[in-house]
Amino acid sequence: MTRNLWHFKDLGTGVGLRAPHFGHILGEKPEVGFFEILTENYLDTGGRPLYILDQVAERYPIVMHGVSMSVGSTDPLDFAYLAKVKALAKRTKAQWVSDHVCWTGVVGRNTHDLLPLPYTEEALRHTADRVRIIQDVLERPVALENPSTYLEFVPSSMTEWEFIARLASEADCGLLFDVNNVYVSAFNHGFDPKTYIDAIPGERVCHYHLAGHTHKGTHILDTHSDYVVDPVWELYGYTLRRIGSRATLLEWDADIPPFDVVHAEALKAQVWRDKEVRRAA
Amino acid sequence: MRRDPNLRVEAFPLSTVQRWLQAVVVHPGEILEALASSEAEREVPSSDLAALVKPSRSLTPEERVDIYHGMYLLRMEEALASDYPATKHFLGAQAFGELVRDYVRRYPSRSYTLNRLGDHLPQFFLDEPGRRHAPFLHDLASAELAVSQAFDAEESPKLTAESLQAIPPQAWDSATLQPTAAFRLLRSRYAVLPHLESEKRGLPSPAPVRKASFLVVYRRDFSVYQMGLTRGEFALLDDLAGGVPLGQAVARAAARLKKAEGEKKVFAWFRTWVAEGMFASVACGPSRSKGSTSA
Repeated sequence: MTRNLWHFKDLGTGVGLRAPHFGHILGEKPEVGFFEILTENYLDTGGRPLYILDQVAERYPIVMHGVSMSVGSTDPLDFAYLAKVKALAKRTKAQWVSDHVCWTGVVGRNTHDLLPLPYTEEALRHTADRVRIIQDVLERPVALENPSTYLEFVPSSMTEWEFIARLASEADCGLLFDVNNVYVSAFNHGFDPKTYIDAIPGERVCHYHLAGHTHKGTHILDTHSDYVVDPVWELYGYTLRRIGSRATLLEWDADIPPFDVVHAEALKAQVWRDKEVRRAA
Repeated sequence: MRRDPNLRVEAFPLSTVQRWLQAVVVHPGEILEALASSEAEREVPSSDLAALVKPSRSLTPEERVDIYHGMYLLRMEEALASDYPATKHFLGAQAFGELVRDYVRRYPSRSYTLNRLGDHLPQFFLDEPGRRHAPFLHDLASAELAVSQAFDAEESPKLTAESLQAIPPQAWDSATLQPTAAFRLLRSRYAVLPHLESEKRGLPSPAPVRKASFLVVYRRDFSVYQMGLTRGEFALLDDLAGGVPLGQAVARAAARLKKAEGEKKVFAWFRTWVAEGMFASVACGPSRSKGSTSA
């Protein structure tokens, strides 16, 4: 059990701030540890989403989670984008800023997908260099999330968990550890998820994600469209024992049910957290 | 058997792998066509796929790449359907899917946000005038683009009746109005409002009707509204938004109407627009240059 290097607060359990729930959140003011926003949804708007966010940020801690930092891309970094991310973090007093270990596009395009990296020395050096620059620009540590992946590259010279542990160390960045993604990738690639968890440097983990997925028989898709399955809850318990308690977010981004359903699922994480605290005591 | 890692890295540098995977993912055809496309073959010959992508216990390398390839157009379609619901409603799911496939090939996302993916859709229909219903779809897409732009526009202060009443009588004629940032004025060759409304109500889309039409899109209390206009209302709003001084704009509008009711009608329009929050401020001074948007 470790604390994270930056002493980020354990904010308890949180949920994603999503448009279908705006009215409920402002009207009912539910007891939620924090809200996570999808960064890009608030960068170029002066409309209702930003107006709602300002009100939510007055009452709750906010954390920012992006999908376009493209840390592994061989395209140049987008400094205009980073400036907007920095300004939004300041506006919302974001507790931390996160994105993914992936790339989203090259030659000036954005596929808006979290595309996989080959886990090579070249990709590691390249990505670590970019993450260091990003952190310098943002003037804060960035937490990077382990992705769900659907293919593996033959030229990879290390496992994903080795790549992520080395990236975090060489870039001196944080990690957002997504337990469901480990489960998804473990099924898709046939590895033991506990081996992955054991290799993660706990002192760099700032935050956990949990989510539901879609099982297609031959592979699993990370769809954030359902309840968290029991094996993922078990892995979450294992992660809590191995790494320690961290702010935990329940992601539900497709077929979004009423807020109370999402919140109840998030609160199950609190039950697991309490159980592990009792076990540790 | 594993090959020598250094040889593999040299054969597949990161930039090559990324250009190849992107070329395959964004290709509009089936996965085998995508792998064999000239854009993909230029980076990694399809015959080398097994040297780059591992099979899983249940999927071939082609099938694993196809997971990313299949999700790309679905994601683009979801984003465009969110901004162009009436266009999708008119075309139907299949034709809209085909439109998205063709559109993102010409206008792929180059932004960190999907919110601006559809910015070129009206232009796309101008690019392809031979496309079925292209002139009508251009007008409908222009109206829907105005709605999404109004949604994201910066919030502006709202001009109130009280601040208008505070203008000294001698300054009234030369005063100019500043519309809010969300204000959009459109003139189209086809009637588009019935299509926007039929989509909202879940009613079947009517057939396109070629009829000069006028529309204002604006935002009040963070909700976006559309209001159909007469030719006379449009002309006055166009003048006002373009910086024509109030006295001149009102006189021109009244002259276009029958003398007996002209001014009364014009002031009724004006009161409605101010009450709806279309204007941000009033300035007493030199007029701005005039300009309007035409769909």
